[in-house]
Amino acid sequence: MDKKLKETILNPILKGNPITVLVLGICSALAVTVQLKGALVMALSVIAVTGLSSLVCSLLRNTIPNRVRIIVQLVVVAMMVILVDQILKAGEGTYAIDKQLSVYIGLIITNCIVMGRIEAFALGNKPIPSLLDGIANGLGYGLILVVVAFFRELLGSGTLFGFQVLPSGYVPNNLVILPPFALILLGCIIWVHRAIDKDLQEN
Amino acid sequence: MNTNNNVYTVIYTAVIVVVVAALLAFVSGKLGPAQDANAKAETLRQMMSAAGVKPTEELYAARNAEVLQLYADNIREAYTIGLDGQKNGELSVSKDKIELISKLKPQHKAILAGGDVTLPVYIFNSGIAVIPIYGAGLWGPVWGYIAFQPDCHTIAGAFFDHESETPGLGAKIKDEPWFREKFSGKTVEWGDTPAFRLEKHAEATGATNAVDAITGATMTSKGLNEALNVWFKAYEKHFGSGAFFSMLGEHADSETINTEEE
Repeated sequence: MDKKLKETILNPILKGNPITVLVLGICSALAVTVQLKGALVMALSVIAVTGLSSLVCSLLRNTIPNRVRIIVQLVVVAMMVILVDQILKAGEGTYAIDKQLSVYIGLIITNCIVMGRIEAFALGNKPIPSLLDGIANGLGYGLILVVVAFFRELLGSGTLFGFQVLPSGYVPNNLVILPPFALILLGCIIWVHRAIDKDLQEN
Repeated sequence: MNTNNNVYTVIYTAVIVVVVAALLAFVSGKLGPAQDANAKAETLRQMMSAAGVKPTEELYAARNAEVLQLYADNIREAYTIGLDGQKNGELSVSKDKIELISKLKPQHKAILAGGDVTLPVYIFNSGIAVIPIYGAGLWGPVWGYIAFQPDCHTIAGAFFDHESETPGLGAKIKDEPWFREKFSGKTVEWGDTPAFRLEKHAEATGATNAVDAITGATMTSKGLNEALNVWFKAYEKHFGSGAFFSMLGEHADSETINTEEE
């Protein structure tokens, strides 16, 4: 694999993580991380939307009129989000999760990561690298979502994926369930990330 | 090619929008039946949770086919009534063709307009009767299912749901089991206005037809209170004036009708 492509895939997951470095898309990161299952479905949905939207926009990039490019991107992203939502609603196992995630699936449209990657990458690159860039950014987002949800479900409910893991004597911490704790946890993750990667530290 | 030309821009956006719309319409048509099946099973879960057929968690863990079977095994009959309290239709309860009045919005509109309605009543083998309620919450519709003991006066159970109430506040009507559990054992005073109170400090009055509103979710509670009372009013002639009991024949035992005032 050539170096540039590798960089495209690895950068959004590590050094250029959309949540911990660019601090994009944290609204849904706070809202849907109470349980691992929801966070995982949300992460997969975002990966699908960022990847496919970037692919389609990259395919269209030479034909899109510059003055209306944001509108065209928005139409493409909205279409992908509606498709994901429709598919989740149709699956027997995913219907309940779709209801639980409620508005947040629809709000993927407004997730800055999606439009950000189309503007910054897909409009200037070939389809395959654009697809990979979109997927990688979705993965970077999903990774943080799953880490946050892991701690919130473990400490807030004593369960993981709905299965009891902490002894039944454990009293669930209600603060962990509330959105402010996600912000605290996110702060800790950013802290750890910066402590490990010295390049991210400002002087 | 000059992609900044006005004509090109207009045609381009029009074509994109039409293509996307056609694609979405196609997908929606293809997935529609599967989505409807999920929605139907969801309605059955909520009704059976209110009726106490099985604990809510078990109902949600069960697959769609099991839920349909459970309903078919436990339902005695289902029919619809008009605002005069008289029966105006039957709903099939056989497993292969379960009929529900799941679109509550048009019924809600018809109730408010005083027009023709087909309000469903689902009677389970246990003698518990379940009716739906529907109304406007803060951000979107709220609805639910209220189950009555065979006396049609005491609430046996309830289940509430919503489309987009605030998580942690209005969404508690669904998320917090203690809220729906508070309705068990309460009564609906048919004929009174209001027949039921979901209000601040309502429980402190000692009335049996009262439940406290949720703190911090004033608008959702108000909407739900309104939904309960509008629908209770619509069912009043059926449950409140004996139409229900005369219809049931042998069940029309006047001793079980408790219309005493508090």
